[in-house]
Amino acid sequence: MTDYLTPSTHDSVNELAHPLTEKLLEISHLRTYFFTEAGVVKALDGMSLEVNKGQAVGLVGESGSGKSVTAQSVLRIVPRPGRIVDGSIKFEGEDLLSKSDDDMRKLRGPKMAIVFQDPTTSLNPVFTVERQLTDILMLHRDLTKEAASKRALSLLEHVGIQEPEKRLKAYPHELSGGMKQRIAIARALSCEPVLLFADEPTTNLDVTIQAQVLELLKQLQKELNMTMVMITHDMGIIADMTERVTVLYAGKVMEVADTPTLFRSPKHPYTEALLKAVPSVKQTRALEVIPGNIPNLIEPPSGCVFNPRCKYAKDICMKQEPPLEKAEEGHYVACHFWRELKLEGRAG
Amino acid sequence: MQTTADEGRPILEVSSLVEYFDVVERGIFRKKKVGDVHAVDNVSFHISGGETLGLVGESGCGKTTAGKVILYLEKPTSGSVFFEGMNVVETFENGSQTDRKLLRRRMQMVFQNPYNSLDPRMTVYDIISEAFVVHRNIPKSQWTDRVYELLRMVNLEEYHAERYPHEFSGGQRQRIAIARALAVDPKFVILDEPVSSLDVSIRAQILNLLIDLQRSKRLSYLYISHDLSSVRQISQRVAVMYLGEIVELARAEEIFDKPLHPYTQALISAVPVPDVDHKTTRIILPGEVPSPINPPQACRFHPRCPHATDICRQMAPKFEDKLIEGHFVACHHADKFV
Amino acid sequence: MFSETINAAHNDLYVGLAATLITTLIGVAVGALAGYFKGAVSDVLLGLIQMFFVIPVLLLILLFARVFSVLVFKGLGLTLIVLILAFFGWSSIAFIVRGETFRLKEMEFVQAARSLGAGSYRLLFRHIVPNILSPVIVIATLNIAGFILTEVVVSFLGFGDPNTSTWGLLLNEGFPYVRTSWWVSLFPGLAVVFCVLGFNLMGDGLSDALNPRLRE
Repeated sequence: MTDYLTPSTHDSVNELAHPLTEKLLEISHLRTYFFTEAGVVKALDGMSLEVNKGQAVGLVGESGSGKSVTAQSVLRIVPRPGRIVDGSIKFEGEDLLSKSDDDMRKLRGPKMAIVFQDPTTSLNPVFTVERQLTDILMLHRDLTKEAASKRALSLLEHVGIQEPEKRLKAYPHELSGGMKQRIAIARALSCEPVLLFADEPTTNLDVTIQAQVLELLKQLQKELNMTMVMITHDMGIIADMTERVTVLYAGKVMEVADTPTLFRSPKHPYTEALLKAVPSVKQTRALEVIPGNIPNLIEPPSGCVFNPRCKYAKDICMKQEPPLEKAEEGHYVACHFWRELKLEGRAG
Repeated sequence: MQTTADEGRPILEVSSLVEYFDVVERGIFRKKKVGDVHAVDNVSFHISGGETLGLVGESGCGKTTAGKVILYLEKPTSGSVFFEGMNVVETFENGSQTDRKLLRRRMQMVFQNPYNSLDPRMTVYDIISEAFVVHRNIPKSQWTDRVYELLRMVNLEEYHAERYPHEFSGGQRQRIAIARALAVDPKFVILDEPVSSLDVSIRAQILNLLIDLQRSKRLSYLYISHDLSSVRQISQRVAVMYLGEIVELARAEEIFDKPLHPYTQALISAVPVPDVDHKTTRIILPGEVPSPINPPQACRFHPRCPHATDICRQMAPKFEDKLIEGHFVACHHADKFV
Repeated sequence: MFSETINAAHNDLYVGLAATLITTLIGVAVGALAGYFKGAVSDVLLGLIQMFFVIPVLLLILLFARVFSVLVFKGLGLTLIVLILAFFGWSSIAFIVRGETFRLKEMEFVQAARSLGAGSYRLLFRHIVPNILSPVIVIATLNIAGFILTEVVVSFLGFGDPNTSTWGLLLNEGFPYVRTSWWVSLFPGLAVVFCVLGFNLMGDGLSDALNPRLRE
């Protein structure tokens, strides 16, 4: 990646950008809550994230971690009964939370886009492929129908779809999962956004098709010099596709680091546990179990949200929430004992 | 993975199993058969006592159908299944009720979707004790004790018995499903994608539980999954399916470290490895996963195979272990990869 | 007038409840069998359901009332209506039950019970039927209201039993005087409205009450 810039040139998550590092996205202490009948679900509870231009960044977590809600919050498409209640989101230096709906709509597509997990539901079943793409092109780029159709065709070629002329006239249900996802990617990229969120884009696909789509995303990211946030629960995808990764758990950030560092020397017990619980195709080793369950987001545990399942937990962990602190250049941890703990990573 | 299998005495023997489904066009009064779905096409393998055979493949390869046919939840088109010497198909079609019930106790299944595999209107107690109701092999006075014992076995609490499925998380529901399968004291359990819909941190719990139970009760497993990483974790031997056929069958280490069939090679290379030092050299297969309706002639993989030659298009390869003993593969060019 | 309306109530309710009970029983039985078994049985039953579905029940009742006017005048009019309603009105329930049975049959918890050795009887009555109760109850309560309405129409048109007091009959009697003594029609009319509304709401509530998911 030609524009790879090391994030270690700035000290704190909220510091002003060094002139060489262009911060594209800056999320700070974001709280997004869902106000349901059963109670207030704290989907994101004080989450911070920084993405530099041209980076491939990973957001990893299990269900309930808040990773999808993060993308929804940035694009301000959080579904009801959810609402952003606190924090700030800055994109290209501008505050997104103060923008009007109209302004946000102008950003969605040309500036930022999401590829969703399930292409069956993210594509409109009553529109042809052509219509899915030309609609957006005509809206944002002010193209005529013919020009938009031409562009749609070239987009399909770009994402590696065979016989694109035929596919343009097809309806989503006539296509396979892999093809639908390629079209979803084409749609997301149609207005050449600077920032792309990929929310579990391959989870519903077969293994060999998953490989195709991941390769495609990698290639496109390089070609278009796009900033990509890869949202996933799969540590394998993180290892392969990202340079920098943020670990989320129950709506809070546990650890942020460069991908190699996170794998080799994690500093948070959850990260360590996650790495140990994941089986690998390349070797058979004993899996270490993380006891317990994902916490209830309506009444999360007090203190450190991971404490009930943490094997290193002490008294203070149940009382006080650990702040996200800097452990090294570019490596941040939210744990009371990161200095003392000697954790194991996955060495090659 | 240390094996506790009985060498040379298979507990399950599947031979030339075939399952075709009719593809039918409906008219107003008539139905016309227009083709076959070759769901399972001439599948053979065996499993020893205490062993796990992993069955892997992508969607449409027939692995779930194979599992259902082995348990006679679907009637096979042809072929045989022998369990502990008993002919399963014969027993279910012509055998006595006693024999049929015996098979249902010795062979069990844990299903894929924990949100659908438990009757939402039954309590956990009812779900687990259904086995006793159907088989009447335990006096009613002992039921509660036995249910509690089973719950403990899967690391759940006694008070969970009063609750309904929707009150539990995915991982817990899967434990209930496992307890239900164990209630009849089986010798062989088919596990159909048991951890695929669970979170990463819960998967390890369930996998470890299954491995522990296998050791303590000498169970045999058929572990069906598309998640190769978990297959490696639990299986001693692995069979790879493509379009209804087994294309490779060998010990787990051999399949994962030195696969001989191009499809297996592509499949394994496609799985993202949670290791930063691992260089991903993905073999990308062109095209889509094909449909099992009217599959390609000769070698079914040839349209997507990077090594296909003329003979692959003309003649179906034999499934044999000529190159390495115990390592079966169906490919004309397997010798290239040894 | 008020007291007459109350008096007539039990007859209307009789029609509604009796017809609903019978149609539900038949409908569930036929629908479950049609949905559970494959092949010829299912096709034949489906054909049957579809045939009965399209028969215009109201017209039939009117027809029978004419033809069997003897019975009508003997005071068996209501029972006649109930029987015809029951005989022809079960198809809507059967249709829904068939669809649901079809869907549930393939669900994994049914497959699991099969793999445990449960027989068809147990699968149908312990697993499938309890899970289709919700939509069935809703339709059944709507049916009560619907059947009562049918009776009202029949009696209003004059085909009903003039010896048995029902709301329809009251409306029929009050019709010629609507301009002057409109209140004669008001009471039975309101009764019908409240009755229908009441049963609909009851259906809603019952469906919720039977849902174990809400039993927290």
